[in-house]
Amino acid sequence: MNFDFHFMMIAMKEAIRYTPVTLLLAFVPFVLGILLGTLIALVRLFHVRILGRLMQVYIVITKGIPVILQILIIYFVMVQGFDTIADRFHWSLHSKDINVIYVALTALFTVAVANISETIRGALMAVNRGQYEAAYSVGMTHNQVLRRIILPQALPAALPMLCSNLIGIMKSTSLVFMISVVDLMNAALITATANYKYLEAYVAAAIVYWVLNGTIEKISLILEKRFSVYRKEGVF
Amino acid sequence: MGKLFDIQLVFEYFPKLLSRLHITLSIVFAATVLGVILGTVLALFRLAKTPILNQVAVVYISFMRGTPIIVQMFIVYYGLPLLLLMIHLDINHWDKLIFIIITYGLNMAAFMAEIIRASIIGVSIGQTEAAYSVGMSRLQAFRRIVAPQALLIALPSLGMNMMGLLQNTSIAFSLGIIDVIGKARVIGASTYHTLEGYVGAAVIFLALCILMEYGFTHIEKKLKYKMIGLI
Repeated sequence: MNFDFHFMMIAMKEAIRYTPVTLLLAFVPFVLGILLGTLIALVRLFHVRILGRLMQVYIVITKGIPVILQILIIYFVMVQGFDTIADRFHWSLHSKDINVIYVALTALFTVAVANISETIRGALMAVNRGQYEAAYSVGMTHNQVLRRIILPQALPAALPMLCSNLIGIMKSTSLVFMISVVDLMNAALITATANYKYLEAYVAAAIVYWVLNGTIEKISLILEKRFSVYRKEGVF
Repeated sequence: MGKLFDIQLVFEYFPKLLSRLHITLSIVFAATVLGVILGTVLALFRLAKTPILNQVAVVYISFMRGTPIIVQMFIVYYGLPLLLLMIHLDINHWDKLIFIIITYGLNMAAFMAEIIRASIIGVSIGQTEAAYSVGMSRLQAFRRIVAPQALLIALPSLGMNMMGLLQNTSIAFSLGIIDVIGKARVIGASTYHTLEGYVGAAVIFLALCILMEYGFTHIEKKLKYKMIGLI
């Protein structure tokens, strides 16, 4: 048995063809995660009564349970739960008719939100306490403090971590093949089922993932440099 | 199919799942040891800027951080025997668990290398200079001054990584290892109550994670107290 480069190229071509699916699975939870994650971070930062505690519990639970388990559990709950409801109300729609990609998106979203909100909370807390106090002391409202003073400082600080969150989500998307979503990895594997050249398929998938994540890392470095220049011109 | 979710079954499956916990824990432990040793070597290559080896370390770390662990696992599983066959070493009969440990160890090494490097850089250069100025040799300065401080810096990230590793071990079942999640799948396949098994496994992982976090905070506090006490 030898390494078949020719087959690796075939598998890679197939993997690249399905890369948009992986990108969709990574970016949609990421973008939505930033929106909801910021909200959760703010809720926790300002100790909103019941909601703050609830969010804390949610984050501990999501961060404590492996991604694959969350994907599988959500898959089962969504598919079986949907069928049960459909049976009760005599719908003609069944879980088989629903694209599994939505299940994958939901699962990745719940994971992403928890991680991203922790990142943003960390960045918000890293902003000097004096900044909050100074802003309040000149009579700004909560809203103004956040919009004008805190978020402009916190978001650039959060950028490197956000990028590593994105890489984390990208890597997690490789698990969705377990609920038979055809993404980059599954596409490469499907080509290998005929001839059992799994090693080549996995290497092909690895290279594509590597290029994707390497690009994100490069962009992150460039953005970081940009923002640190901005920072030096400021008060700091 | 019956009921969608039966909480009674979760309790029933729980002991069965716990009986496989030692596999998960041994993967975490062995991989961490392997990762720390290999990671230190990699970090030293990078810190000393050894030509060639430095670049190799950079590429290695980038690959390990940039690809999903499941892909790495299968590459090791299929590729390592092929690679070692070239030097006439047949490892096809090895236990799957060994491949898993190698994969997670190699993966951990990349993350550890970055942590170790960052924490050694994180110790102020003045500390090293002060150590030299009182006549310590390079090794002494590192061992007595830099390393203890670096350890304190590295500890929180080490804890985070170990928790990440614990969560990553959940993928080991895809290679046919019967760990906690593998057992949950086996139960699911034989009784059609997959969800209960998964929920039980989730509870175990959650508890382990919280326990680990608590443990690391405790160690950190103790270590900090001890070191500052020594000074």
